[in-house]
Amino acid sequence: MSSSSAGTPGIGGAPPSTDTGVTARERLRVLLRDPARLWQYFGIPIVVAVAITLTVSYVSGQELIGREERSLDTDLLTALALQHVRLGLTVVFWVLVIAIPLGVLLTRPWAKPYAPAFIGVANAGQAIPSFGLMVLFAIWLGTGETAAVAATVAYCILPVLRNTMVGLNQVDPSIIEAARGMGMTKRGVLLQIELPLSVPVMLAGVRTALILAIGTITLGALIGAGTVGRTINSGIISFSDPVLVTGAVAAASLALLVDWAAGIIEDFVRPKGL
Amino acid sequence: MPASEADPPAMIRLEELTKYYPGSDEPAVDAVTMDIPEGEIVVLVGPSGCGKTTTLKMINRIVEPTSGRISLEGEDVTDVDPDRLRRRIGYVIQQVGLFPHRTIAQNIATVPRLLGWDKERITERVDELLELVGMDPATYGPRYPKELSGGQRQRVGVARAMAADPPVMLMDEPFGAIDPITRDRLQNEFLRLQQEIEKTIVFVTHDIDEAIKMGDRIAIFGNDHRIQQYASPEMLLSNPINEFVDAFTGTGASLKRLNLTRVRDVALSDWPTAASDSPREELQRRLAETEHSFLLLLDRQQRPLRWISERDLARSDWTHHGGLKVRAVVEPHVTLHNALDEMLTSNVGVATVVDERGAYQGVVDIDTVMTAVNAMRAETRERVRVAPWHGVTASDVADATESRA
Repeated sequence: MSSSSAGTPGIGGAPPSTDTGVTARERLRVLLRDPARLWQYFGIPIVVAVAITLTVSYVSGQELIGREERSLDTDLLTALALQHVRLGLTVVFWVLVIAIPLGVLLTRPWAKPYAPAFIGVANAGQAIPSFGLMVLFAIWLGTGETAAVAATVAYCILPVLRNTMVGLNQVDPSIIEAARGMGMTKRGVLLQIELPLSVPVMLAGVRTALILAIGTITLGALIGAGTVGRTINSGIISFSDPVLVTGAVAAASLALLVDWAAGIIEDFVRPKGL
Repeated sequence: MPASEADPPAMIRLEELTKYYPGSDEPAVDAVTMDIPEGEIVVLVGPSGCGKTTTLKMINRIVEPTSGRISLEGEDVTDVDPDRLRRRIGYVIQQVGLFPHRTIAQNIATVPRLLGWDKERITERVDELLELVGMDPATYGPRYPKELSGGQRQRVGVARAMAADPPVMLMDEPFGAIDPITRDRLQNEFLRLQQEIEKTIVFVTHDIDEAIKMGDRIAIFGNDHRIQQYASPEMLLSNPINEFVDAFTGTGASLKRLNLTRVRDVALSDWPTAASDSPREELQRRLAETEHSFLLLLDRQQRPLRWISERDLARSDWTHHGGLKVRAVVEPHVTLHNALDEMLTSNVGVATVVDERGAYQGVVDIDTVMTAVNAMRAETRERVRVAPWHGVTASDVADATESRA
C-alpha cells in the first residue's frame, strides 16, 4: 500500500528552488505546483468526507433496533475512533523507539554480522498472521490495550527497522569519509550527516508502519482493546449491515486520514537539498 | 621550482610508516620515510595499489598505521586524538563528498563550526573563501550541492578544506573525476591559489603528467609499496633512479620536461621584421638580406600581422594583405611544451611570442627548444653533483645514466 510512497518524487519533482527562505509557506507553494501533490493534499480528505456523508445518509435511512442504535451512538463512535488513533500512535511511538536505535546499531561496522539475526526475528514478527500474534500476546499479557499494542508493535517493527538500515547504508561513503576527514566525531557524523541523509527512506518506513498499525490495531477489538474494530465486530455478531458498514467505513477513513497526514508531514520534514 | 640545497623545514615527517591491512601478509605501505617541506606541493604518484592513497590517509589517520611515526610541525601526532588532528589538516577527496542536505555556505563552515568559531567570523570566512575560489558568495552560498556543476563542487571542496586555514592540505586525486578541459583549468587555478596561500600540500594522483605539472616534488611509489624516488620533477625526468621510475615517467620524458620551462625563461630567437606599410622594394631588400625565407610584418603597435615570402612580393597583384596570416602566437607565461605545440601547427615552423599588449617579442623555434633542453639537462646534472638528497646520490645517477647509455 504505502510502499509506493517511497517512490513518489520529493521536492525534486518541482523545479529546483534556489531560494533558501525556508518558510513553510514558500515550501508549500512549490509543492502545490505539482498536480499529483495537489491531489494528494486535497483529494484524500474529499474522498473521506464523501464516504462519511454517504454512510451517514445510508444509516439514517435505516430502521434501527435498540442494539444497533447503541452501537451507532455518536459519542461511542467518537470515543472508539479516538481510542483507535491513540493506540495506533502509541504503537508507532514504540516502534520508533525500538526500531530506529536498533537500525542504527545494526549498521555500525562492528555489528554487521548480527544484522541478519535481528532482521530474521523482525521478519518472523511480520510473517505470523496478525490475528495469531494478537491471540499469543493476549495469552501472555492478558486481554486489553497492552496486549493489542504489544502485538501490533511486534508486527510493525520490520518496515521501520529495514528502512532505517537501508537508509543508513545508502549514504554515500565518500560523504562520510569527507566528514570524518574534517574531524567530525563518529557521533557527529551519525547525528548530523548519516541520519538526516537517511530521513527520506526512514520516513517511508515509518509511514508504512503507521498504516500497518492503524489497520492491525483494528483486530485489537477481538482481545478487548476497543477501537473501531469493536463496531465492525458488533456488526458481524448482530448481522447488522448499518453497523458493519459504519465500522468498516470508519476504519478505512481513519487509515486514509492518518496516511494523508503522514504524507504531508513527510513533505515538510524531509531535508532540503536531497 | 626550487629544489634548493637548503631545504625548507619539514612540515610533515613520515618515519618508517608501514601499514598491513588485516588478513594480508603483504604491506600496503612499506616503511615509507619522507620529509614534506613547508609550503610545497608534494605529489605521491604511482600505479594502482602502490600505497600512495594509504600513505596519504595515514597522515590524517583515516587509516591507522601499523608501525612508524608521523610528525606534524615537529610534533609527534601518531597517537593524538584523530578528530582533533584532522581539524588542523584540510582534506579533499576525488568524490568531493559535499553534504547534500547542507548549503554551500554551511558545507564550507563545517570545520570552523567544529572549532567553535562565532557566527560572524564564520560568515566572513565563508564569503572570503568563496571569493578566493572564484564563486560569488551571494549567488552560491545559499545553494545546495546538487545545483552546482562538477567543477564548481570541486572548488567548494577545496574551499571547505581551507576553511579553518590549516597549514596542511591532503588532496586525494582531487581532479580525477573531472573532464580534461575543466581539470586543466582547475589545476591552473589551484596553482595560482597556492602561490597566494602557500600551504603544505600532499597530493595523490596516478597521472604522471598531473604530478609533473602540480608537484614541487614528486614521490614515485612502486609495486613493492615503497618510494622508488623522491625528487623534483626535473630530477625525476632527467635522472630516473631505476628502470621502474624511467618506465613510469614514460617515454615522453624529454617532452614532459618542456612543461617545466616557460617561454619567458628562455632566450628567444630573432626574426627579420618590417613595418607592414613599408614599400615593396624595401621589403624585398630586407628579405634578400636575411637567410630566412619569410619576413614578419608588424603593424604600428608592433603587433605581428602576416608572414610574407619572396613569392608573395613578386606577385603582380601584391598588396599589403598578401602572404600568410600569423597564427601560433604565444605569450611569455606559456610553457615551452605549449609553444612547441603551437610551433608545429604554424605555417612557418616558429611560434611568435608577444607581450600582454600583443607587441612582438621574438620567436620560439626548434633551436630555442633544443638550447633550453640542453641547459636543463646540464643544470640538473650540476645540481645532482652539488646536492645529493633524499637517497639520490651522484653515483646513483651515474649508474642510471650508464645503464641507459
